[in-house]
Amino acid sequence: MRLPEIERGDGVANRLLISFISMVSGMRLPDAARVAFYHKDFFGTPMGAWTQAAMRGPSPWRVAERELMACMVAKWNACAFCVGAHGAVAAKEMQRPAVDEVISDFHAAPISGRLKSALAFLEVMTLRPKDLKAEHAMAALSAGVSAQALIDAIAVGALFSIVTRYADALDFAMPTPEEFERAANMLLKRGYAS
Amino acid sequence: MKVSIKPDHRALAEALRRRVLEGPGETRPELRLASAERAAGGPASEAPFDDLARQIGEATHRVTDAQVSSVLTATGSEKATFEIIVAAALGAGLSRWQQAMKVLDEVTNAPA
Repeated sequence: MRLPEIERGDGVANRLLISFISMVSGMRLPDAARVAFYHKDFFGTPMGAWTQAAMRGPSPWRVAERELMACMVAKWNACAFCVGAHGAVAAKEMQRPAVDEVISDFHAAPISGRLKSALAFLEVMTLRPKDLKAEHAMAALSAGVSAQALIDAIAVGALFSIVTRYADALDFAMPTPEEFERAANMLLKRGYAS
Repeated sequence: MKVSIKPDHRALAEALRRRVLEGPGETRPELRLASAERAAGGPASEAPFDDLARQIGEATHRVTDAQVSSVLTATGSEKATFEIIVAAALGAGLSRWQQAMKVLDEVTNAPA
């Protein structure tokens, strides 16, 4: 973590909260959660509201599918922290080998055609946003992705284009696989709103 | 009875944009906006903020300790440095949001 104040917590209440959650969960609170508590009125509150709506709100996509989208945006942005974190949440509702197959090559992975089409759209949006054209949206819609489902996927793509950037700019500490597993339980139970 | 209301992503994105790029903070809103635009491929902003914002936009996994330290030295505050980092991240993310929604709107609003 490049800004120690985020790791410590800004203010006594947040420091106590970070210590308490770390103690109860039996693991160091991941840096993503520390950011959510930091300078909260400026960023954590509005970011958490949109993230919670996109990742846990009503959607044609299951939670695991949205977590896989987040995981893939992280892969395309080379953010190891977010690949680990969101792959672990997806693996709570899918078989871990299937998650790994998606990460390796989503085109050949055992997922639905509409999810593959949404991921194909998100790949261009993430890596070559200026190349994104109506034909990419048309391809997703033609594959059975509804307009609402594509909007929901775009929201996930935009949010994790943001998250991955501050995660790596701040140099989040990398949890162990066991810590990702525990954090995934927390993310499923508590969600993203800070 | 459970009522499910679909998220209003446009409103949530706009609320986030306005708070981070226009709302009160330790840094000037103009500096945050310039950092967001730079990370979205826009024009260079003032040093040393420009280098960090450009790096966050292009390849954030290559951000260095020195790039963050330079901004920390210039602002004298971790909160201000955080504001620049999230503004740049937001710029890169929201530019993708806007482009993606634009192409979707082109398709869904096209005459039959």
